[in-house]
Amino acid sequence: MPDICIYAQVHQPWRLRRYRLFEVGAGGPYFDDETNARILRRVADKCYLPANRLLLDLVRRTDGRFKVALSLTGTLVDQLRRWAPDALDSFRALAASGGVELLGETYHHSLAALGDAAEFEAQVAMHRRMVEAEFGQRPTVFRNTELIYWDGLAPAIAAQGFRGVMVEGADHVLGWRSANHVYEAASAPGLRLLPRNYRLSDDVGFRFGQRSWEGWPLTAEKYAAWLAASGGTSAHLYVDYETFGEHQWSETGIFDFLRHLPDACAREGMAFVHPSALAAREPVATLAFPEPTSWADAERDTSAWLGNRIQRAAHARLYDLRPAVVASGSAERLDAWRRLTTSDHVYYMCTKHFADGDVHKYFSPYETPYDAFVAFMNVAQDLAQSVAGQPADRPAAEEWTHLAGMACVA
Amino acid sequence: MRVLMFGWEFPPYQAGGLATATVGLVKGLVRQGVGVTLVVPFPVEGDTLPGLRLVGLDAPTEAVRVHRVPSTLTPYGGTEQYVEVLAAARRSGSRHPYGATLFEEVERFAAEAGAIAAREPHDVIDAHDWLTFAAGLAAREASGRPLVAHIHATEYDRAGEGGNPLILAREAAGLLGADRVISNSHVLKRACTDRFGVPEAKVDVVHWGVDGAPVAANVPRWSPFQDPVGGGRPPTVLFLGRVTWQKGPDYFIEVAGRVARHVPAARFVVAGTGDMLPLLVRRAAELGIADRVHFAGPLQGPDVDRAYRLADVCVMPSVSEPFGLVALESLRNGTPCIVPRSAGVAEVLRHAFKVDFWDVDEMTNQVVALLRHPELHGELREQGLREVGSGRFSLEEPARRTVDAYRRALAARPVEG
Repeated sequence: MPDICIYAQVHQPWRLRRYRLFEVGAGGPYFDDETNARILRRVADKCYLPANRLLLDLVRRTDGRFKVALSLTGTLVDQLRRWAPDALDSFRALAASGGVELLGETYHHSLAALGDAAEFEAQVAMHRRMVEAEFGQRPTVFRNTELIYWDGLAPAIAAQGFRGVMVEGADHVLGWRSANHVYEAASAPGLRLLPRNYRLSDDVGFRFGQRSWEGWPLTAEKYAAWLAASGGTSAHLYVDYETFGEHQWSETGIFDFLRHLPDACAREGMAFVHPSALAAREPVATLAFPEPTSWADAERDTSAWLGNRIQRAAHARLYDLRPAVVASGSAERLDAWRRLTTSDHVYYMCTKHFADGDVHKYFSPYETPYDAFVAFMNVAQDLAQSVAGQPADRPAAEEWTHLAGMACVA
Repeated sequence: MRVLMFGWEFPPYQAGGLATATVGLVKGLVRQGVGVTLVVPFPVEGDTLPGLRLVGLDAPTEAVRVHRVPSTLTPYGGTEQYVEVLAAARRSGSRHPYGATLFEEVERFAAEAGAIAAREPHDVIDAHDWLTFAAGLAAREASGRPLVAHIHATEYDRAGEGGNPLILAREAAGLLGADRVISNSHVLKRACTDRFGVPEAKVDVVHWGVDGAPVAANVPRWSPFQDPVGGGRPPTVLFLGRVTWQKGPDYFIEVAGRVARHVPAARFVVAGTGDMLPLLVRRAAELGIADRVHFAGPLQGPDVDRAYRLADVCVMPSVSEPFGLVALESLRNGTPCIVPRSAGVAEVLRHAFKVDFWDVDEMTNQVVALLRHPELHGELREQGLREVGSGRFSLEEPARRTVDAYRRALAARPVEG
């Protein structure tokens, strides 16, 4: 009978304004405060507040036997502070309840692990300081953006003092082995890997509200029976926190499902466990991840963010800018640059399934991936010029001549 | 099944995308095993038999028969252009029995159509746009077979609110009188129901397709221009279409003026002709880009593909665009395009920029990005080629749906005997 380890990701990006060519050189503003505030408020009302209330209630009602882990990105916490302090307070209450463990990650939900080692280290440290200051916890288990992980990254994670990492239980990595065990990183002895059981996770995260699914309707009892039958020593269930009330609307019964889950699991004789407790257990084997693996799409690789040439061009452009931004000594510009490292920006540029109008489109504020690229590159260009002290993007011969003429007259 | 089809333009006699669409439809129908008898009114100079071009393809020779009716009808010109054409025809000394006005021509075409319908065997009649609606109605009168009104654009699309009431009346008569209506987009279907009062259930939407595989990705791009700086081919922006109010060529020139400030080496090609041409020439001079805007005139046949291939991006700022075949043709040639959000093609096409036709700043933003970022150009080119080459834009798909519409027409008007 496996123990149950639930972790939910809580994240919102700083969406960009439709930054146009004509604004390059104007120095911003880059971010769409109106949209970001509106979306944050909506998600806070539909998901964060009701879900937090429910989790707190479950922790108290079960005397702490119900345990979950959350990971809150820095970009989310910054937006909560600004537009939904009530939701931030409720996260603080959860963190203080004893039932909720917070994980470590990059502050900006970035692809820094794939872009720049020093930046990765800096953002992980930033995030840890934020979690300590804001929630009074020191994370000991790490999750990288979208569960992107490979052997080459493990030493950098271990070097930051983490004892465990959430990874995707991808078929091509596990082979015949079960995701329901604690493993050890092949490239960093002592670092535990907790692979996501993607089938059981996606039953809740993706399929819960699908009436065409054979498992519908999914009750807590049915799900608990599936968990009990899933084998191994610990079932690792990782979903987006927005699953509760945002991706799966309240009308689907997702909150009722969660409300009844602790009792249903208890009846099956299963206990809830925090990731840090699992990271203290002995591993059954080592797992090697030769290639970067993630929890996204069927491919489970990094192609959702860096799969096409516009994504790679944008990513390269951004990280090429880092030395100049850092050298500028401007905290404001560095903050803007770091907000651009959030993986959502390149995710919006994904074209691989765009023609099918799939999940990528659902999450994108842009009409097409190409619009996402144009806005991003215009912002990157503006930022580049602002740190280099370059003139505005207006090489119009007529205008310069005109200005020169004026100067002569003066 | 045999269809008696009334079209008005057919290569090489074409003024817009309709000839291409008609050829595509005929090809698709023939491949579906549908016999097509196409009746087309050609300009007086039309001495060659364009039908031979069709017969040369994989269509059964006997499946397409092209009837020619001498006429000065052109689909887009309206009555004023008709007078010009007529004057030109008189000057050139051709002697043909056309009527004195465009509407008389339409009547004469309809009278001929009735006679043709009486002797040509067919199961269903398909009439394309207002010029042939009277012919379609006359044919139905003669043969008793059901009529499908095939609408590609209305007078509202061509002229906005200032359209010719006589043409609007013709359109209403055809759309309301037909047994079924086929519209090339949802936006045009809405015009049929909202503007003309056609019952929604009577209209089938059949988006256009394009013929054949995409032009191979390795077809060389070329240019008649030389970049004054690098010496290579300069970045080139294309407008292809009639130079009339409907197609928004004036917005294109405004975009050109803005793009030129950011990409001074850029060249702009206007391919097509129409009543706004003098205005465009003047405006290009005012914007100081007269040396970089090239007016190519109307293009036909292989020159159309060559135009797409010399361009890095094709811009369609159409005020009204019921479908917008130019977008598919551009993508087929590996040239990314910017399409108006309200165009019919925007309902089905994904790998293209979509923009409000009046938003010259946004179009400029997109054009400059395409010219500056080879990765953006490459991704749009590759994905566009792939999309337009997918089954969704084949000729088979619209032909299949058209046959379905014919069947519904036959069910709506059972044929006696």
